[in-house]
Amino acid sequence: MVALTEMTNWAVDLIDVRKNYPRNIQALRGVNIQVGRGEIFGLLGPNGAGKTTLVKIMMTVVRPTHALGTILGRPLGHRGKLARIGYLPENHRFPGYLKGLQLLDYYAALAKVPRATRRTRGPMLLEQLGLSQWGDMRIDKYSKGMMQRLGIAQALMNDPEMVVLDEPTDGLDPVGRRDVRQLFLELRRAGKTVFLNSHLLSELEMVCDRVAILVEGLVARQGTLSELTEHTVEFRITFSGDVLPIKNKLVDMQAAVDGDLIVLSGHDATKVNAVIDLLRKQGLTIESVQPHRFSLEDILVEAMGGPQSQNQERKGVARGNRDLQRPV
Amino acid sequence: MQFWALIVDSFRESRDRKIFWVMLIIELFVAAAMFCVSFEPGRVDFLFGLWTIKTDSFTALSGLAHDKIAAIAVTGVLDLVMGWIGVALAIVATAGFFPSLLERGGVDVVLAKPISRAGLFLGKYVGSMVFVLFHAVFFIFLTFLIIGFRWGTWLPGYLLCIPLLVILFSYVYCISAWAGVRFRSAAVAINISIGAWVIFAGIQGVGDLFDAFPDWKKNRWAYHTSSVARWVVPKTHDVTYLAGKWSGAAVSTALVPKMDEADRSTMDRAGEAELERMNLNPLYTIGSSLLFEAVIVAFAIRRFSRTDY
Repeated sequence: MVALTEMTNWAVDLIDVRKNYPRNIQALRGVNIQVGRGEIFGLLGPNGAGKTTLVKIMMTVVRPTHALGTILGRPLGHRGKLARIGYLPENHRFPGYLKGLQLLDYYAALAKVPRATRRTRGPMLLEQLGLSQWGDMRIDKYSKGMMQRLGIAQALMNDPEMVVLDEPTDGLDPVGRRDVRQLFLELRRAGKTVFLNSHLLSELEMVCDRVAILVEGLVARQGTLSELTEHTVEFRITFSGDVLPIKNKLVDMQAAVDGDLIVLSGHDATKVNAVIDLLRKQGLTIESVQPHRFSLEDILVEAMGGPQSQNQERKGVARGNRDLQRPV
Repeated sequence: MQFWALIVDSFRESRDRKIFWVMLIIELFVAAAMFCVSFEPGRVDFLFGLWTIKTDSFTALSGLAHDKIAAIAVTGVLDLVMGWIGVALAIVATAGFFPSLLERGGVDVVLAKPISRAGLFLGKYVGSMVFVLFHAVFFIFLTFLIIGFRWGTWLPGYLLCIPLLVILFSYVYCISAWAGVRFRSAAVAINISIGAWVIFAGIQGVGDLFDAFPDWKKNRWAYHTSSVARWVVPKTHDVTYLAGKWSGAAVSTALVPKMDEADRSTMDRAGEAELERMNLNPLYTIGSSLLFEAVIVAFAIRRFSRTDY
């Protein structure tokens, strides 16, 4: 029963998503991702990792070679549920002949938003995104940043349960980025799920509750930021004096020595104390001891070193989920 | 709601293209030219009487004169609009609709909406028809009024040219839409659809030759191949003839008995074939052509539905 509750709490539950292109190109090789309802989720990875392909599969723009799972409790690819999702693609291109409000109205009509709602919500969103003066202007007159804000507005026109935004801060100036970050936080407060795909790691780090790192078509890491950084702490000890006589002992203690810097991986403080004791015993002067938590960028770089397939582990979960989905 | 949004968007897109206004100017120019002409007993005035041709053809605006005026309207006006120029311009104007819909970055948003791809395609397809419908209504109704008020002849059947014009355009546009989805290029769509139109005309032309020269039918393989091909492709020529027939043009079968023997004797074999075609069955002409269109549209939808963007 607990498992069932957990399952229905996922806004996105993707299981073994694969996408093969002709000439044996495997864009996705069995992706498993879970996104909780009401959280801000970040998808990151290097270029060509398959992030945009995955987002397009979620939005039915690309057909998967194989995929299981649900989005907002409905099977992946369920078209009706798209009415409750807002989407902003990467490098979007809106028709230049439309005016700002016309564009919002057009896309909202396609999302089955009633006319009365469209009329009130369009100006409200333009106001919220700082475009209130531009609603009656043709969008081919818009700057890139304005176009991006308009794109976010169109993604919110249907008052979605979940928004999927591909590089949402692309083209925005620092103030615009801050405003958009605030918007994400407001959406989360309103109980919406925000799915972000971005290569701007610092942006994700500031707002995301959970992230997944995609490398070569596989999820290399996935979890909350604290989960991901929990085991990626290191201590950096700087000292002065000759360390050579005790270097082998330090290596035995799993400490890396680089000139007057010793790097100790892990978050075990007793190991740090042991190293400090050894240094003092040798008569070396300790200048500083700094715990250092890995950034998202460090985690990404580390993950790119070797993604681990989760297929075997996840397949069991997938079977369990399928069984549980029936009564739902 | 979604379908209407697609239609409105298509119309906005067409209005944004220069060719929309070029077509409107051409239509106004032709209408103005017609307005400058008037048929008076014993003469025809051009440019409000600046230039006059004396003729007995329109004396007292008899029934014969009525049919002749209809013939002038149909051959002079419809051949221009429903013939090569009008449909060619409409094809050029609308060929970019699907390629622009499928532009990278643009297509993603619409495909992520709760509308099926078939619905999306058909909405855009019908939207293109609305563009042609707008021009057809504007031009045909305007010239209908001019023919009525200035020429003194009211041709209610002439208004049937509005749906016929849209149907004729749709026969060629289905090819353009398929090419637009397949190649995502307006230029390629224009070339393929114009090429297909020429092929349709060629196939019908060959069929006409078999009708005009019955001896040729002895080559049974060629004749049957031509007949099958003629049945399969859209009958663009025949739709123009239908328009003339329904408008009450002078070449209609109803008028034939009124022709004198001299006219009859000069009627060549091609004319006989033409008259034969005037007896064509509208259901067959339009129905078989729409069947062709439906097959092409089905191929285009299949392609659209199975493509990753």
